[in-house]
Amino acid sequence: MRPSRRDFLKLASVCGISLSVSPVASAEVPDVAARETLPGRGVSHPALGRVDGVAKVTGGKLYAADFRAADLPGWPATTHHALLVRAPDATHLYEGLDLAALPPEATPTLVVTAEDIKRIGARVPEFYAGDLFCPVGTTPLYLGQPVALLLFETFDAYDVARVAFRDGNLLKFGKETGPRTGANYGAFRFTRVAGAEPGAPDIYSPLQEGWISPGFVDSGSGRPIWRVLPDEKGPDYVKGAAYGEAIRAELEAVNPSVLTLDRSFATQSVDPMFLEPETGLAWYDPAAKKLDMVIGVQSPFEAAEAVAHLLGEVQADHKPGAVNTRFCYVGGGFGGRDHTPFPLYVALAALFFPGRPVRLAHDRFQQFQGGVKRHAFKMRSQIGVDRKSGLITAFAADHVLDGGGLANYSVSVAVVGATGAIGMYAIPKVDVTTVAEHTRGVTAGSMRGYGTLQTMTALETLVDEACTALALDPIEFRRRNALKVGARTMTGNPYSVSVRAPEILDKLQTQAIWKDRAREKAAARSGFLIGTGVACAAKDYGTGADCSLGAVSIDPQGRVSINSDAVEMGNGIGTALANRVATHIGAIADEVTVAQIDVFDELELVTSGDPYSISQADQDQAARDPHWVPAISSATSASIGAHVGTQAAAEAARVVFRFGLWPAALALWGVAPRDPRAERWTEAYWQGETLLFSGLPPLPLKALAAKAHEQGGVTGAMAHAFSRWAWAEATFALPEGEWSAEIDALAVRRGSGGYQRLDRKAVAFPPADYNRIGTAFASMCGTSVRIEIERATGNLRIAKAYSVLECGKTLVPEVVLGQAQGGFAMGVGYALLEDLPPFEEGPGNGTWNLGQYVVARGSDLPLHDLDIEVLPPLAANEPPKGMAEVVMIPVVPALLNAIFDATGHRFYALPVTPAMIKGVLA
Amino acid sequence: MTMLSLTINGRAVGPLDVRPDLSMNDFLRERLGMTGTKFGCGAAQCLSCAVIVDLDDGTSVTKPTCVAPALDFNKQKIRTVEGHAVNGVLTPLQLSFVEHFAFQCGYCTPGFLNEGQVLLERLEREKVAREDLERTIMEALDGHICRCSGYVKYHQAVRDVILADPSRFLTA
Amino acid sequence: MTMNRRHLLFLGTVLTVSVLTVGIASRNGLATPTDTPANALAPPESFATIADPAARSAAYFTELGKVLTSPRCTNCHPATDRPRQGDARRLHQPPVYRGVDGMGLASLRCSNCHGGANFDPAGMPGHPAWHLAPAEMAWEGRTVAQICEQIKDPARNGGRSLQDLIEHIGDDTLVGWAWHPGPGRMPAPGTQAEAKALVIAWVESGAACP
Repeated sequence: MRPSRRDFLKLASVCGISLSVSPVASAEVPDVAARETLPGRGVSHPALGRVDGVAKVTGGKLYAADFRAADLPGWPATTHHALLVRAPDATHLYEGLDLAALPPEATPTLVVTAEDIKRIGARVPEFYAGDLFCPVGTTPLYLGQPVALLLFETFDAYDVARVAFRDGNLLKFGKETGPRTGANYGAFRFTRVAGAEPGAPDIYSPLQEGWISPGFVDSGSGRPIWRVLPDEKGPDYVKGAAYGEAIRAELEAVNPSVLTLDRSFATQSVDPMFLEPETGLAWYDPAAKKLDMVIGVQSPFEAAEAVAHLLGEVQADHKPGAVNTRFCYVGGGFGGRDHTPFPLYVALAALFFPGRPVRLAHDRFQQFQGGVKRHAFKMRSQIGVDRKSGLITAFAADHVLDGGGLANYSVSVAVVGATGAIGMYAIPKVDVTTVAEHTRGVTAGSMRGYGTLQTMTALETLVDEACTALALDPIEFRRRNALKVGARTMTGNPYSVSVRAPEILDKLQTQAIWKDRAREKAAARSGFLIGTGVACAAKDYGTGADCSLGAVSIDPQGRVSINSDAVEMGNGIGTALANRVATHIGAIADEVTVAQIDVFDELELVTSGDPYSISQADQDQAARDPHWVPAISSATSASIGAHVGTQAAAEAARVVFRFGLWPAALALWGVAPRDPRAERWTEAYWQGETLLFSGLPPLPLKALAAKAHEQGGVTGAMAHAFSRWAWAEATFALPEGEWSAEIDALAVRRGSGGYQRLDRKAVAFPPADYNRIGTAFASMCGTSVRIEIERATGNLRIAKAYSVLECGKTLVPEVVLGQAQGGFAMGVGYALLEDLPPFEEGPGNGTWNLGQYVVARGSDLPLHDLDIEVLPPLAANEPPKGMAEVVMIPVVPALLNAIFDATGHRFYALPVTPAMIKGVLA
Repeated sequence: MTMLSLTINGRAVGPLDVRPDLSMNDFLRERLGMTGTKFGCGAAQCLSCAVIVDLDDGTSVTKPTCVAPALDFNKQKIRTVEGHAVNGVLTPLQLSFVEHFAFQCGYCTPGFLNEGQVLLERLEREKVAREDLERTIMEALDGHICRCSGYVKYHQAVRDVILADPSRFLTA
Repeated sequence: MTMNRRHLLFLGTVLTVSVLTVGIASRNGLATPTDTPANALAPPESFATIADPAARSAAYFTELGKVLTSPRCTNCHPATDRPRQGDARRLHQPPVYRGVDGMGLASLRCSNCHGGANFDPAGMPGHPAWHLAPAEMAWEGRTVAQICEQIKDPARNGGRSLQDLIEHIGDDTLVGWAWHPGPGRMPAPGTQAEAKALVIAWVESGAACP
C-alpha cells in the first residue's frame, strides 16, 4: 500500500459538473489567460531574462491577489468580500460568534457556518477530511479551524470587521474540554537487510516484501506499537519488524569494534511564508448556474477536482452546472500551496453569495493561522560505525511527526522523510519507523524538503559527531560510505539517475572554505570563534506518479506558443519550457501560458484507479483503452518542474519538428523523400533561429514555419507524459511514419487546422510494483560554511558559504543559481531564525506576523561570499533533474556542524539562536 | 468620509471620498485597482507594499502603504511599480532586475524596485565611495523580504546599474 | 476611527484599577505603593508614610521606574543601535538602526513607516517625532537604580536639568505616546500626569536614587 501524494478524485466522478469551459473575453478587458500569456506577442522585452520578467517589473496583473471583478471580462463590476473566521482555541467548546460586538457598519450580510454547509449538502473531499467549519457546541478540531465565513457587500464593512475580529474576542467559547484526540494519520516501518556480499540480493527490503505498518496502537498514548507482537492481521509486519528488531539489538549490543551513537533531534514547525497570502476570487452566476473562480495554487487540477467534489451533491438550487477556474501566477509556493483547502472556502463564499463576485483573501495573520506548515519532527537516531573501516554498519531511527489538525500530506511526508533518512549513504542494515500524529496544531503538509530536511539534518549532524568520535575527516567518511552507482537505497532499489557523490565530495574538499578551515579557525579575531561545517544531501525529486501536459504550436511567421499545466510560482517553469522547446524548434516562445488544465481537451484523456496503488492487472486492463493514462495532471511540487513539467511540451516540440519543420526543410532544400538524408533529421541542429544540416544551406525558422503551414505539415502538437520512476512510452502512427516517444497521449495540428488526437499503437507504462520504490530519482548537493561567532553575544555571522550540486542538464542556468541562493537563505532561516511554537502559543492563535516570525533577510546572508557551483551534465543528453529542494537541505546541518566546530557544543534542536549559543559559551 | 486627492505616477487622482481608517494599500488596490503595489504582511515588516513618495524638496522616500492611512498621502506625489517604465521602455533598474533574473515569484519586486530606484536617485545627489557601495545597498534593501531569491541577484542588479555609470553615483 | 474590542478591554481594565485604588484608599486612608497594581502608578501622597526624605525620594523614583523600564520606554532607549518592539521586546523588524540623528539610516528612516499618529487598523504606532533616544540614554537592560543615576547625569540625559526632566516625562508628546500605544501593546503604567506628579515629587524631594 502506497500512501497517495494526491487524493485522486476522477473527473469522471464529478457528478455532472463540467470543469472545462472556454473563457469568453470582451474587447475591453483581457482575460486572465491573456494577461498571463507571457512575455506576450509584440511586447518588447530584453533578450535575457525570464519570460515573465517584464510583466513582473512593471506591475502587471498576474497573481490571484491582483484580480478583482472589474478585471474579469463578463463579470459584474463590483467586488464583494469574504472573511474567514478561524478559532484561536482548540480546548474549549465553541459557542458561536459575538456579532453584536461588531461595529454596526461592519455587520456582515451573510454568515456561513457548519450548519449551512451541511444544509446544502456540500461534501468534504477525502484529502481534507474533517469539518470545514467547526460546528457550534463542538471543540475546534485544531487551532485555526474555520468557524464561519462572513460575507460583506462592501470592502469597507469587511475591512472594519477584519480588524475587529483580529483585535477583539468575538468568538464565544464555553466549557473547557481539552483538545480533541484523533487517530494517527499513518505509521510505517522501513527495514532493509542487504545480502552478505556486495551485489547479492537483499535479505529483506520494502521493494521485495512491500511496505509495512504495525497492527497495534498503544491504547493510552495512541502511538503505534513497533515491537513484534503476534499479529494475525499483519504477518508481513511481523516478518519485517523481526529484522528491524534484530538491527536494533545489534546496535544496542556492546561491540568494541563498532562506534554506536544514540541521539535525539527535534525540529520545529515553520511557515512556508510565501509572500502572496492565499487569495481567491469567485462568482457564482445563478442564471447560468456557473461558478467562475480565480485562484493561485501549485495543484490546479486537484483544486478543480476538490471544488467539483465539494459541490458535486449540493442541493439543486445551489449546484453549479459548470466550474471554470483560472489559475494564476503564484507569489511563492514552497509546497504550501500544494493541496491547500483554501479554494474550497473561495468556492463556498461565491456559492452563498449568488450573483456577486466575492473575494476571499488572507491577511498575514490569517495566513499564519490557517496556512499549511512544515511538520515538526522528533527523531531518535542510532548509528553504528566500524571503527577500523569507518563504514556504517547499521542505522535505526524513530520519527514522530506533528501533523496538526488535518491529515493533508502528513502520511506522505512521513514516508518521504523516513525513506530519506539515510541520505547519501550505503548502509547494509536499516530500520526506520515513522508515525504522523494528529494534534490540535495548525495543519502541516507539503513544504520544500518534505520531511527529508528534518531527517537529513538529524543524519548529517549525527555523521559529523561520528567523525569527531572516530577522528575521521568528514569528507573522507562520506567518500567511504557514499552510495555507489547501482547500489541499493534503503527501499531496496538503485537510483535510475546519476548521483555523483565522488565529484561533489572532491569539490567540497578542494574548495577554499574546507581547505583553509584550520588556518581560518586559528586566525579568529579576539572575542570571536570561527567554525567550519560541511554536509551533503541526496534528495529525491518526483513523487512516483508525476505527469505533464504540454502543447507547442508555431505560426506561419515562426512564432512559438506553449501551453502547460505546470505552475509558475517563481520556479521559472515558463522560461524553462521556452528554453527546452527552443532546443527542438529553434525559437524562444513569445507566448507561454502556464497553469492550464482546460486546453488539453483534444487529448480526450481518461483515468481510473490510484496511480500509487494500482495493481499490474488493473493497469494492464485500463491501458487497453487508448484514452487511459494513470493520472492526468500533477501538482507543481517535489522539484519536478524541469524534469516533468517540461517533458510534454518538449516532446510536443519534437513532434512539430519531425513532422512539420523537418519536412518543410526537405522541401526547401529540394531533398527528395527517398533521399537517405530525409531520414537523418536527428542530425539537424539549431543555431539561434537557423536550422543547420551538414552540406545543405542554413534555413531560417520563419521560412520553415511558412513552408510547414503551406504544406499542411504538423504545426502544433499536444502531449501527455507520465512517470513512475520511469517514463511511460508509446508509439503513434502518423502518415509520415511511426513515432515512439516518452509520452502516452498525443494530438497534432496540421497547418492552421484544429488538433486531432492520435490513438497510440502501443504503450508501456512503468510497472505497478515501481510503487514500492522510495525514490529512484535523486540529485545531490553539498554545502560548506564558515561562521564567526561573537563570544559576548552569541551572534553568528556566516562569513563564507559554498554549495555544489548536480542536476543534469540545466534548462535555465540563472534559475538554477537563483534556486540555490534562495534555498541557502531558507536553510539559514530554518537553522537559525524561524520558529513556530506548537499549539496555543503558536500561529493558530492568530497573532503571528513577521515581527515574531523572523525569516532571513539580506543582512543574515553572505551575499557576496556565497559561491554556487553546478556540475556540468554527465552527457549532453542527460535529462534535467530536480534541484529546488536538495539545495536547501545541506545548508542546515552544515551550519550546525560549523557551530560545533566553533563552540565545541552540539545542538539537537532547531533553531539555534544567539541566546542559546551565548548560553553554552558562558 | 474625507476627501483625498493625490498624484500617482504623474496623474491626478481624486478627489475621492475615503474612510479615515482605510489604508493606503487598500486605497490603491481596492479603490483604484492598482495592484502592482502588493500586500504582504500588513505590518511594515516585508515592505512589498512600499511606494515612492516624491517630496517637495526634490528628494524621494519609500513608504509602506499597508500601515498608513490613505489620507496621509493627501496632496502627495507618489510613484508605483506601474509608473517606472515610460511608453514601455524599461528603466535601467527594471532592465537590470530582468537581466539578472533578480526575482523569482516576483511578488516582492515592486518594493525592491521602488527602494532601489530611490537609492539610485539619492546616490545621484549624494555620491558614495566605491568601498561603501555594498553596505549602502544593504542598508537600503534590508527592510525588504524576499522568500525566493536569497537576495543575491537583487543586490547584484542594483550594484551593476551603479557600476555601469560610476561617475554618476560614486565619488571619484 | 472605529472603537475596537481591545480598546474597550483596556478601558475596562483602567476603570477596574481606579475602583480598586479607591477601595484601598477608603480602607487605609492611603494606599501604599506596594498595593498598586503593576499597570498603575501610586500617587506621591501614598509615599507620605516614608519618613526618611531620601528614602521617600528614592521610592518616588522606584515607582516611576515602572514606567521607565516598561517596553514602551526601553524599546526606544535601546542598549544597541537597534530598537526593540512589542511587549516581548524583540528586536525591531525590519532591522533599523539609530543613524546619525536617531531617526534611522539614510534609506530606512523612522518616518518611512511611522506616521504622525497611530494607525490602529494596522497596529502601527506613530508620532511626528518618532525616533530613538540617544545612545547615552540607553535604558534597555538597566536597573531602576542605574537609570536613576543616568537620568540625573546631564552627560547621559541629553543635557537636561531636573526641571527639564519633569517636562520631558510629564509633557513631551512622544513620551506621552507610551500611555496611548494603540491595540496590541500594553500602555506604560498609570498616566502621563501621574508619572509627572512622581517626577515632580522626586525632584522636589532631592532626586535621590534607589
